[in-house]
Amino acid sequence: MNTSVDLGGIVMKNPVTTASGTFGFGLEYQTYVDLQRLGAITVKGTTLKPRQGNPPPRIAETPSGMLNAIGLQNPGVERVAEEIMPQLAALGVPVIINIAGDTLEDYAQVARRLDGVTGVAGLEVNISCPNVKKGGIQFGSNPVTASEVTRAVKSVTGLPVIVKLSPNVTDLVAMAEAVAGAGADALSMINTLVGIAIDVDRRRPVLGNITGGLSGPAIRPVAVRAVWQVHRALPLIPILGMGGIMTARDALEFILAGATAVAVGTGNFVNPRATLDVVDGIEQYMKEHGFNEISELVGLAQRDTTRSDE
Amino acid sequence: MSQLMMAEITGCQETGPGVWVTELLAPSLAQAAVPGQFIHIRCGEDSDPLLRRPISIHAVCRQSGLVKIMFQVVGKGTAWLAGRRDGWLDIMGPLGRGFTMLTAEKTGTAAVPRLVVGGGIGAAPLYFLLQELAGTGYAEHVKVLLGARNAEQLLIHNAVKLLGFSVSVATDDGSAGYQGPVTDLLAEELQCKPGYVYACGPAPMLKTLCGMLHNAGVPGEVSVEERMACGVGACLSCVCRVKDAGGLETFRHACVDGPVFAAGEVVW
Repeated sequence: MNTSVDLGGIVMKNPVTTASGTFGFGLEYQTYVDLQRLGAITVKGTTLKPRQGNPPPRIAETPSGMLNAIGLQNPGVERVAEEIMPQLAALGVPVIINIAGDTLEDYAQVARRLDGVTGVAGLEVNISCPNVKKGGIQFGSNPVTASEVTRAVKSVTGLPVIVKLSPNVTDLVAMAEAVAGAGADALSMINTLVGIAIDVDRRRPVLGNITGGLSGPAIRPVAVRAVWQVHRALPLIPILGMGGIMTARDALEFILAGATAVAVGTGNFVNPRATLDVVDGIEQYMKEHGFNEISELVGLAQRDTTRSDE
Repeated sequence: MSQLMMAEITGCQETGPGVWVTELLAPSLAQAAVPGQFIHIRCGEDSDPLLRRPISIHAVCRQSGLVKIMFQVVGKGTAWLAGRRDGWLDIMGPLGRGFTMLTAEKTGTAAVPRLVVGGGIGAAPLYFLLQELAGTGYAEHVKVLLGARNAEQLLIHNAVKLLGFSVSVATDDGSAGYQGPVTDLLAEELQCKPGYVYACGPAPMLKTLCGMLHNAGVPGEVSVEERMACGVGACLSCVCRVKDAGGLETFRHACVDGPVFAAGEVVW
């Protein structure tokens, strides 16, 4: 059985990685997860300079989900490259670094710094963080700026570049087309949905940042729809699908909708072994249903389907 | 080392109004745990409530491998937990940095006079601390101050007396002990210059306490509570604002850097 996938040049032994921001730098989960069994490790959003993040409270639980407004707290690209990557590289698992910035130049500088760092297998360009004032979703809500960021990063790195898209846009397919046209090697979707929770007793927003990004099983159908639509419009670009994956069956929804690989995010908080359960469950499913190649499953649910408006 | 495990529920009872004690058989947890640490509990089999609940370790018996947690029902997760009378719990732990146990090697003498101050449900982890302090043979140097809304909410009062400690209590309504905040009792005790103070309780109480310790020049530790998701330092949700030795303010994480912090470093 072959579960290996090629995510825009990132070769993974199985289609399972972690969603940026939910797995720290991987090492935090070492006690619970044999990291070497993961297809790839996608680490915390990294910026040029260290960032403190947003004031607390930073999370709020919601029905089958949670809002977060961490605000890209991270130690900065220098420490990631010098101190964290050597430890991760020793694992021999592809590492995808999520990068973010306030300006085009920030993105380019972070990308340039990571080019050639041992163990880094690819970059995930975060143009969809809803929790920072500058950068993030500002770039990701407009096809022109999104393609500018993509080009800025592509022009300074030889690494595969995944662009992470936001669901908080009117036309997701237009965004996908723009960044694919600008040279993105793969797309990841979806980042969180912007939301607000209000503490009725205190009559105040729960989060210090007021708004936060919604994640968890509550958003899964939205995420599967996003993967479906983009895969239908752009069948050649590989997609890293994510949004509320807790189990292998959840992950298979994404793959059947058109994702080449999947990421477990909030699920890690609930079950620290969720990633490995997904790896095992996908294999089990392939065995039971007689699939030898994981690629046979990608987009399979779309075969012979037409909506009345198409 | 922390582990993900299924722990058998061996008992569950309501010990105060809306306050429950659940007993778990978890020998490895009992062996590894230190006072002030917590376990991260999955409260349900489906996705609502979604996140684990961090609950401090209330009591440990290493010999029998039993671990107790004490918690107040405040929402969906804790209500689910209070309803579990038997079966198994999906837990991670022990997690976090606990209280510093002063030893003769660290202080020159183990006979440092210590104060243990608890408010409301914050008393829960202090019982485990007192179990450990009782075992050191220096119980006569430890004084316990407990505060609560009323006599019924003095959750560990009797158990602490049974351990042989001297206890003073304060209640908001005067139904037991001194009427007023427990920090009033602390003010008196600070005049006797205790060597170290351990505290856990609601944020306003800890804020007052930290200010008093600072003014009195008495070192100590406080256990804080923050909204938490992963419990292992990955998600960066449970931040606590602290200042370092140079006075520079920064965020630390209650799950791995805490929940116990030096009283002087927390920025309230």
